[in-house]
Amino acid sequence: MPIKLLLQMSLRNILRHRRRNGMMLAAVVVAVAAVVLMNSMIRGMQQDMADAAVENLVGHVKVLAPGYRDDPGIARTFALAGDWRPPDGAPEVAGWAMRVRVPAVIMSERGTRGIQFVGVNPAQEGISFLSSARMVGESLKDASDGRIIIGQALAEQLETGLGRRLVIITQGADGLNREAGFRIAGLYDADGEGMEGFFVFTGVGALQEMVGAEVFTELSIRLHEEPALFALKDALVEVFTGLEVLDWRELEPQAAAMFVFADAAVLIWFFVMMGALVFGLVNTLVTSVMERIRELGMLRAVGMRPRSVVAQVVIESSALMLIGVAVGIALGLAAVFAMGDGLDLSLWSEGVESFGMRTLLRPVPLVDDVLLIALLSLGLGVVASLYPAWRAIKVKPLEALRR
Amino acid sequence: MSDVANRRTAHVVDCAGVSRTYQEDAVPVQALRDVDFQFSRGEFASLSGPSGSGKSTLLNLIGGLDRADEGAIAVDGVALNRLSESELSDLRLRRIGFVFQSYNLIPVLSAQENVEFIMQLQGVARGERAEQAVECLASLGIAELARRRPGELSGGQQQRVAIARAIVTDPVLLLADEPSANLDSGTTEELLKLLRRLNHERGISILTATHDPMVMSYAKRRVVLRDGAIVEDSAH
Repeated sequence: MPIKLLLQMSLRNILRHRRRNGMMLAAVVVAVAAVVLMNSMIRGMQQDMADAAVENLVGHVKVLAPGYRDDPGIARTFALAGDWRPPDGAPEVAGWAMRVRVPAVIMSERGTRGIQFVGVNPAQEGISFLSSARMVGESLKDASDGRIIIGQALAEQLETGLGRRLVIITQGADGLNREAGFRIAGLYDADGEGMEGFFVFTGVGALQEMVGAEVFTELSIRLHEEPALFALKDALVEVFTGLEVLDWRELEPQAAAMFVFADAAVLIWFFVMMGALVFGLVNTLVTSVMERIRELGMLRAVGMRPRSVVAQVVIESSALMLIGVAVGIALGLAAVFAMGDGLDLSLWSEGVESFGMRTLLRPVPLVDDVLLIALLSLGLGVVASLYPAWRAIKVKPLEALRR
Repeated sequence: MSDVANRRTAHVVDCAGVSRTYQEDAVPVQALRDVDFQFSRGEFASLSGPSGSGKSTLLNLIGGLDRADEGAIAVDGVALNRLSESELSDLRLRRIGFVFQSYNLIPVLSAQENVEFIMQLQGVARGERAEQAVECLASLGIAELARRRPGELSGGQQQRVAIARAIVTDPVLLLADEPSANLDSGTTEELLKLLRRLNHERGISILTATHDPMVMSYAKRRVVLRDGAIVEDSAH
């Protein structure tokens, strides 16, 4: 049977029951728009978790001394030339930072806290949150700057402020405790209070001098694009024999697990929403078919083959889904762009931070996801039409004509 | 299998020993009993009889809409017993025209599109299809209704469109099941004149099941059934 005739009849049948099909269409539009919006939110959350993990001094790939992850300290270090560059043939990187990061105790007149004391070269920290964090006071000037910057949360805990001196105690390379006084140059405001209370920064040269060794505990590297991660890792493994070369998923397993979960959540959400919709679609199509069973019987009586009847029902369902999916995607994307400034989650900041996210959630629509939603929706539309189509051809023409 | 099956004769319809039994609430009801019936090319016959006499059953069996329990039926020399459902569909499409009691036009298509529909199923080219449909509607006096949909037509007009749809492809046999049941007497008479004209001018073989004495009076041959058997078969 000519496809054009089937299309013509199917589309006219859709228009024949405007109210019923309009309601069904509205349900499809709302469901698809909701899936697109929710999907974009999940992707935004996923990307935020990944960015937060990478910017949280981790980078995409990090080089560490063996055992450092289990027992981080100045005993597990490695030497690296100050003018080190990524090896030839490695993917292009956004930047790298050589740091010394040791556990320490910080003391003010009013309190004492355990911290991570991090020696940095400010010129290299464009790859971490340190470059984008809001700062009160001054940033570190260079690698030899002997002042410190601390988080605002830690300043509140220690009841201290800009320009005040704090004492930091950590273990030196010789195994003996070292103690030194540092003046606060600036207070940083990170997205998470956990980070503000945990990381204290000084110039890497100053920290090396304090611990008595010109060594590093980590080399952190950030890429322009994540897909180049494994190629970079392979290149670094060849260069840093005897050291551990780890990517951010290995270093932040919780964030990586959430990242994977987000992939599954996208599909789960889709099937929950669209699955519920399919029942409505099947019901509408069965009603439509049963109302026309006499007409369909006549079509078969005059020579239309059962497969053409099936095709007509499938086309009707697919056409409804096609229109609904197109409008739903447009509506969903409009909602995503309307939320372009992001959703402020600061009211739930503690819970949000526990998921490794920041408090501003921006939806991220992905072309692949939108295409997947469109294809799966159309596929479900076809599947949903098979039962009504089967009902249509199960009734023999003569029986249908007698109804 | 009867030798009727493979025989090419002047008969458009050849039924031999046809029986059909239905189950109604698990009770067998014999609708046709050992019926022999031949129907020649160019004939205009009526099948009549009281309700339950088997006239519609015989018409449905001849039209390939139902299958006989016993006996053999051949239409235009083709044994129906041997055909699959798809082959029966094809036979109905290419050799038989149907006119139903309640017209059964496709409500979403215009009169012309309804007439073109069968030709579309047959794969007739668009231009030829439109030309034949318009010509057919004009020959039945309803050319001006070509663009109207069934809902915009009277019962008599719809039945004319249904006849146009049934004859536009020149079937060897036109089967009409109670074609006048929903029409007033004036419209019925117009319809019967039209059928008689088609039978005379185009030689279309017409077999109709009816209760209506007016329909019977227009048919050249009258076949009466009672309790599933032919009790009278006369020409007039």
